[in-house]
Parts: sequence; structure tokens; C-alpha cells
Amino acid sequence: MLKHTLTATALLMAGTSLAHAEGELFLYNWGNYTSPELVKKFEETYDVKVTITDFDSNDTALAKIEAGAHGFDLVVPSAGFVKIYAEKGLIQELDLTKLPNHANIGPEWMNVEWDAGRKWSIPYQWGSTGVSVNTKVYGGDINTSAIFMDPPPELEGKINVIPEMGDVLALATMYAGGEVCSEDPEVMKKVRDLLIAAEPKWLSMDYSTIEKMVNNDYAATVDWNGSAMRSRLGNPDVAYGYPKEGFGLWMDNVVLLADAKNTENAYLFMDFILQPEHAAMLSAFARYGNGVAGSDAFMPEDMKTAPEIVTPAEFVANGHFVLACSGKALEYQTAIWTELQK
Amino acid sequence: MSDRRFSVTTLPGFSTIAVLVFLVLYIPIITLVAYSFNKSEGAGQWGGFSLDWYLVAFQNEQVRKAAMVSLIVATSAAVISTTVATLAALGTTRRRAFRGQTAIYVMINQPLMVPEIVTAVALLLFFASLKQITGYTGLGYMILAHSAFCIPFAYLPIRARLEGMDLTLETAAADLYASSWQTFRHVTLPLLLPGILAGAMLAFVTSLDDVVITEFVKSPGQDTLPTYMLGQLRRAMKPDVNAISTILLVVTLILLTAFALLTRKRD
Repeated sequence: MLKHTLTATALLMAGTSLAHAEGELFLYNWGNYTSPELVKKFEETYDVKVTITDFDSNDTALAKIEAGAHGFDLVVPSAGFVKIYAEKGLIQELDLTKLPNHANIGPEWMNVEWDAGRKWSIPYQWGSTGVSVNTKVYGGDINTSAIFMDPPPELEGKINVIPEMGDVLALATMYAGGEVCSEDPEVMKKVRDLLIAAEPKWLSMDYSTIEKMVNNDYAATVDWNGSAMRSRLGNPDVAYGYPKEGFGLWMDNVVLLADAKNTENAYLFMDFILQPEHAAMLSAFARYGNGVAGSDAFMPEDMKTAPEIVTPAEFVANGHFVLACSGKALEYQTAIWTELQK
Repeated sequence: MSDRRFSVTTLPGFSTIAVLVFLVLYIPIITLVAYSFNKSEGAGQWGGFSLDWYLVAFQNEQVRKAAMVSLIVATSAAVISTTVATLAALGTTRRRAFRGQTAIYVMINQPLMVPEIVTAVALLLFFASLKQITGYTGLGYMILAHSAFCIPFAYLPIRARLEGMDLTLETAAADLYASSWQTFRHVTLPLLLPGILAGAMLAFVTSLDDVVITEFVKSPGQDTLPTYMLGQLRRAMKPDVNAISTILLVVTLILLTAFALLTRKRD
């Protein structure tokens, strides 16, 4: 037993120290987020062995990359982190001549605030933060943050708010008429007063929204669009609302590390997932939109027309990216959040 | 001894509190195990008994790979840390008290006291520079790190065993002209074996369950079962994670039961 283990260990160690063999790619991504079918197809097309390693938060990923000698080629950070990677010199500017499919990036995702012209990052998956409502319980307008900020009587005591400070305060600040990451004390005072007044009408602050929306334990919740869709598939009465005062957007992006050892394969992979067909494969697995124009045609049937995935045109303009706030804005948010948790 | 010696079991409310404590400790775990056999995907509804999620977990290549890494690291770390811990335990008990003994104890047990995240960040920086210099990125770093923090878990039962062992046997062996090696080989080691095995099991379980240090030390492709499960957190957890948890739980329980049997006092 011991001898076998030692042999296996030795083999494994030998194997990994040969990491610079040709035909490899090391991807560092969120867990359960990379379609195995897509990876298989890529491996077979280019004869490249892909090794996927999971991370559970942007901070962990950044810490490991910053320490150096990480061995990864591509990372998938959230929007707010792309600039941090770039400013710290951890990623390299993309050579667009090696990405013929760069032109497939949807026009709305080309000039994003964290990367104008997409010179440093390409879209991976994106989604929105809004509200899910059981339309049997409440028949009024659901495209508003009033669902949880100033709940209609039918919903009182049946509302959940996800315990995610950045997302909830972004919705609340936009509802109060401010901008995401507002540093205006007047606005933030109003946000605080509204939230404190609304909080007694909530049932809970919890992450697991899908089961409870399906089982009618909640009549409404602040929600991410992907889980909203899964709730609706389990309970057709659930609908997803895009608050007109402003709803949150997030996006994860693929970046190429400055010290990547398999740059050519990394470009091949990025170009691969920018093909509409392959972008749709990513979406089919992760269940979010992908930011590649023309991928809709390849999407699974239940996602193609899903109002949670395909933002209805009339609401698109109300979406605002929620990047990590800093300084005064973060101070205000933390203070409000702490008071809310009491 | 008098019959009226103090015993916690005679305090009023003892059984109530004991039952409550066991409920709080075990209900969540029982729920998790139950739901790993749930047919439906949602956590709230019971859809009937099924082994589907175990199948899903076994068929997932990433899970299989993570299980392999977990086993290799835990086995190697258990062997290394138990060897070191046995030597340390012999060195700290089979001799007269010496200056700096407390300092040695503190050093050996350091992983029990220093917050894990501090060790993790320190190892991240240290190993990063090592990787830069040597170019080696294999499992060695993880085995080394795990061996280090498993040492106290292996050390404590071995030392306890040594301290409870009768010195007269070893003295007798020496009186009968056994060399110190012979004494060790034929007297000390057989008596100590249950302690060593218990220490090895505890070290194995500790390594198997570790998340924080592993997350920071792992190189590409070195996810263990716990870090794989942690990676699932951001997206909705599926019941296959319950299935993996249940398997880890069963392995841990078996080893801990063996540990309890080995360290049981023979009266």
C-alpha cells in the first residue's frame, strides 16, 4: 500500500514537473464554471491538454497570482478586478491579431468601463441582480426595487434579501436616486433610512433562494438572474424583475497572465470561446449569458427565450455595473450594512 | 476511592444538556447525509431515495482527480508527520527534563496555535519564491505543508502513549544486555505501536479535511476534495457535493473509530 502510494506520488511529482511540455494550458477559474464538453472539444481540436484549477473568490485568486510562480496561463476575474490585475502588471495586453474572433464580442460588451476596447480581457459570462417575485402573491409591477425597499402589503413578511453587501447596496443606492458607489452623504443617508425602514418587512437574509422560491417559502427575493431562471423552471409563478430605478450587472472576464508559459495555447483558447457556438456551450453549462454576438442561435432551448438571460430591450439601459467600491463609499456601505445586520 | 467523588453525570440537567449538544452537533450532518440520497435537486423537497448523486460525483473527472490528489497528499503527509512525531515524542519523553523543553513543545505544537490563514499566506509567499528558483511545481510543496501541520496531531497521541508506558520494561531490557536499538525495536516500538497508528490516522484525517492551507499552496491541477467543494460555493450547490461530503464523513468516521479503539485504555 505504502509502496504503491509512494510510487504514485513520485510519478505524479515527475509528471507535474514536466509542466512545460508542449500542448498544455492552465486555466484558473471559479469552481463548477467551465463546461467539460467545451474543454474536451478544445483538447481534441488542438491537441492541447487543459488543466483547470478552482478558486472560490477574486481575492484568493489575486493573492495567488500576485505571489508569483503560480503556473497559470489564464484567469477569470470579475469585472472590478480586471483593472487591479492590469495596474499591478499581472496581465498582458492582448495581441488582437491572434484573436480573429475578437470581433464577435457583442458591441455592448466592447467598451466596458474596466476595459475600453477590450484590449486586456474578453467576456466569459455575465448576469444581473434584480428581484424575483411570485406573481400569484403579488400581481403589480415587479420591475422595481420597491419590491424589497418599500414592499407592497401582499409581500410584507415574505421577502428575502441575499446577504451580499455590494449587490444589495447598489440596488438600494440606485433606488434612492444615487449612483453605484455613491460618496454623497445625503444620498447614503437616504439609502440607510430606506433600508432600516424596510428591514422589518423582510423575512430573512439568506443565499439559498431557489428552493424557497420554488416551495413558496418566499414570495419575493433579491436575486441573481441565473437562480431566478432556475426558480421559474421549478415554479412557473416566479418572475424576474429588472428594477427601473437601476439593476445590477456583473461580468467575469478571461485575462492572459503576464508570465503565462503557454501563451499561444491561451490565445487559441480565448479565440475558441469567442466563437458563438462555443460561447453558447459555456452558457449551457454555467447557465448565464456570455457576451458573444450570435451565440443565441446555439443556446439551449430553455435559455434562448428566457427573460432572465435575454434582458428585454426596454430594460437594458437600466443596467449598471457593480464594481467593488472603495474609500468613502465603502465606509458608508459597511456602516449601513452593519446596522442592517443588527 | 470514595463513592461520592465528583462526577459530572450526577449534576442536575446533565442528560438534557448532553442530548441538546448532540442534537445541535449532529442534526446538520444527518440532514446532509439524508439529502445526499435525495432524488430531486432542490434542498427543500424530498424526491425519494436514490444513489444518483453518488454516480454523478463518481463520473465527474474533476472529482476523481481531486480524490486522488487528496489521498496521495493525506497518505504521504500522514507517513512523514507520524515518523517525525514519533522521533519527537521519543526525544521529549525518554530522557530527563531539560532546559528549553517547553519551548520545544510550543514549537512542535505551533500549527495548533497559529491561525491557519497566517501559515497559509506565509507558505504561499515562501513556496512562490521556491517555485521561482527551482522551477518545480509538483505535489511536493503540498505534502511538505500538510506534513508540517499534521505533526502535532500525530505527536500528541504518541506522546500520551509514551508517558503512560511503564519505564521498568525498558529498564529491564537494558539490564538484560539489550542494546538500545534492541530495546527500542523489541520493547518500546511494539508497545508504542497503537499510539503511532492512532497518530497516523489523526494526521491523515487532518490532512484530508484541510482547506485553507491547501487553497493557498496548491499548484495548477492540484485541487483536493475540500478545495473542489469550496469552489462550488459561488454557484448553486448541487447534491453531488452532499454525496462527496458524505463519503469524506464516512472515511473520517472509520478512521476516528479506529483511533478510539486503538487509544482505548486497557483496564
